[in-house]
Amino acid sequence: MTLIDNPDQQALAESVRKLVAARSPLTKVREVALSDQSYDADVWRLVCELGVPGLAIPEQYGGAGGTWADLFIVLRELGAGLVQTPLFASSVLAGGALLASDDEELKSTWLPRLADGSTIGALAVSEENDATWGSQPSTVTAADGKVSGTKVAVLNGAEADLLIVQASDGLYLVQTQQSGVTIAGDEVLDLTRSIATVRFDGAEGHRLAGTADVVLDAVIDLANVALAAEQSGAIKSCIDITAAYANMRYSFGLPIGAYQGVKHKLADDYTEWSLVDASVRVASEALTSGASTASAAAAAARVLASPAYTRAAKNMMLLHGGIGFTWEHDAHLFYRNAVTGKVLLGGPLFQQDRLADKLGV
Amino acid sequence: MPADEFRTKALTWLTEHARPFAGESADGNFAPSLKESKAFQKSLWEAGLAGITWPKEYGGQGLGEDEVIAFNEVASDFLLPTGPFVIGLGMPGPTILELGTEEQKKRHIPPMLSGDEIWCQLFSEPNGGSDVASLQTSAVRTEMGWLINGQKVWTSGAQFSDFGAILVRTDPTVPRHSGITMFIVDMHHPGVTVRPLVVATGDAPFNEVYFDDVEVPLDAVIGEVNQGWAAAVVMLRNERVTIGAGGRSRSNPLGYDALREIAADIGTADDTGVRRRLANLYARETAVAAFGRVLHEGALAGNPIGARGSAAKLAGAELGLWASDAAEDIVGQDIALLTGKSAKAARMILRAPGSATAGGSNEIQRNIVAERVLGLPKDPGAADRKTPFNQLKLSK
Ligand SMILES: Cc1cc2nc3c(=O)[nH]c(=O)nc-3n(C[C@H](O)[C@H](O)[C@H](O)COP(=O)(O)OP(=O)(O)OC[C@H]3O[C@@H](n4cnc5c(N)ncnc54)[C@H](O)[C@@H]3O)c2cc1C
Repeated sequence: MTLIDNPDQQALAESVRKLVAARSPLTKVREVALSDQSYDADVWRLVCELGVPGLAIPEQYGGAGGTWADLFIVLRELGAGLVQTPLFASSVLAGGALLASDDEELKSTWLPRLADGSTIGALAVSEENDATWGSQPSTVTAADGKVSGTKVAVLNGAEADLLIVQASDGLYLVQTQQSGVTIAGDEVLDLTRSIATVRFDGAEGHRLAGTADVVLDAVIDLANVALAAEQSGAIKSCIDITAAYANMRYSFGLPIGAYQGVKHKLADDYTEWSLVDASVRVASEALTSGASTASAAAAAARVLASPAYTRAAKNMMLLHGGIGFTWEHDAHLFYRNAVTGKVLLGGPLFQQDRLADKLGV
Repeated sequence: MPADEFRTKALTWLTEHARPFAGESADGNFAPSLKESKAFQKSLWEAGLAGITWPKEYGGQGLGEDEVIAFNEVASDFLLPTGPFVIGLGMPGPTILELGTEEQKKRHIPPMLSGDEIWCQLFSEPNGGSDVASLQTSAVRTEMGWLINGQKVWTSGAQFSDFGAILVRTDPTVPRHSGITMFIVDMHHPGVTVRPLVVATGDAPFNEVYFDDVEVPLDAVIGEVNQGWAAAVVMLRNERVTIGAGGRSRSNPLGYDALREIAADIGTADDTGVRRRLANLYARETAVAAFGRVLHEGALAGNPIGARGSAAKLAGAELGLWASDAAEDIVGQDIALLTGKSAKAARMILRAPGSATAGGSNEIQRNIVAERVLGLPKDPGAADRKTPFNQLKLSK
């Protein structure tokens, strides 16, 4: 086992990087963010053509039979460019939940469609006034397969064709194209993410065979590493963009990067990123090999990544001076994404508690 | 898999020959003598567990990084009395392997590995710690070789070292980085005087070292004459990796395992704040170790560690300082006492600032990361790079 990308993964990262540079530079990200589209359909199609949504899905379900580590590498590259796609919600959250369930029928029906990107999935877990995430008691109920209640903070809920919904007696697969489902896109801080509130009024659902707690516990691990991988890419972008600026912006006759007040902040951000990157790699390795430390490693990656990202994004704004505070500059796009990422899928305190639990403290 | 075999071999040997960490907490202090350390290093080497990646022809094992990782993982549960060898094996050793002559390697590497000879690193001077290139200790050419005069300071382990890698000025008429040479110096030479310096903890781990007409032969040069700065850069790079990229050790009193045990002992382990502190400590500690692995495995795959070693050194030092804060909170008022279960943590808190200074302060590491990893402009303080050394202003 090694913590560095293998040649196939390097090639994969390289093709995604090229795709991002050519089709989704930050100017394009901004354009999409300000449009009424929540993601760039053109870029999503290209990502699907690369087989990305099915990377971690086994061949028997129409996927590429690769590893989660492969998918996380793509998320890292997409995260570096703040590229809007439903990949996270569909392949990690919904796909991960289906995979972790025992439901052969639903798996063989839906995983191939998630794998080729023809269906977009999302996961509906959170409820009002609950900062934790995962296997919590749910006020959403199901009677005779009819699901009722409200879920909030559903990532890509508005784009989803199917939702995996946590109800009080288990997980349900609910198709969104039916009268019992009402989806309202939320007004959000992060211009690159789409978040929705979903109301179910006796919506038709299929109960997923398997224990909800077990499934959701597995999904949290995946989500933690996936998000940390995205954030790792984004932190590196904040550093690179700011370092480039520090080399060209002059003050008092020198590039601002010659001053230690600037240098040291960037060096700290870089060092912190190195730890985030390493912890994402360890967690990917542990998840891929099914190590007993996987849950702790996944939570640890997230515990480091999310605050490191907000710091790097904040520094990006500060070290760009006045221009860093303007709407035109990209710094606020990263900052918005960072602040949102920190509280998504279980906030920082939840993650620290989860890590302590997993360590048996 | 060979690495697994190696792990088993290491575990078997350590179980028979080393003190387990758990045993230590039961019976108090662990203060090995130099003699014990030497004997231990010798048997470690004889067992094929020292110099794991070093070439076989110089007494190493000729194995790979997987075996090093396996050994470090296994070893983290034991107390190894190998402290006196850390410098030699971490800094002069790899530097000689990289830049030394065949004769130097044959002469010096095997006894270093077998614990027969101990080494120190003589860089810092009263007028130059962070700014190593401002060093003033000089060497002048004689018929037989070179004659060294001057003073070094903060030299770890000089009191028991047999050899040192010393940086001296061999040409003061050229800019400061251009007139430095690195030599191998015999610490038993009559012109060498070692005086211990007591540190904040009350121990005397490092020294002042005086050189009074100390002769070294021509073949004592490591690298080339007046090219000592390049050799120093190699050694400092090795130093940062050695210091920064260490593994997780259960025997570290400010480590996750130790602080968790203290929290359990004093009954604060259920406290939400303490649990979160411990969770964060675990995350940081494992990430620092993982970062070390990323650097090493990358290097093996052809991506040299380079200045990223400074990020590793900085991360390690910051972890120690961070863990000090965590320990203060977790231990509470007992941190003021040098008795009981938390005594080691209390002592270690005193040591953390020293570890952050040794091998280059955090500020210096930040400069290196910013300049050489991120490509930011040189510090304006480096403006005197072109002035001949003997025309420089060195103090107020
Ligand atoms: C435990 C320990 C063991 C050591 N072992 C050895 C050894 O074996 N061999 C050896 O040669 N040396 C050794 N040293 C010396 C060590 O390398 C130096 O102490 C260190 O490099 C700092 O140098 P200094 O003490 O002269 O501090 P100074 O260089 O005077 O620094 C004082 C302060 O100024 C800051 N500073 C200095 N320059 C800059 C700058 N350009 N930008 C920003 N801030 C700056 C520093 O960060 C520090 O906070 C050891 C030190 C310690 C503490």
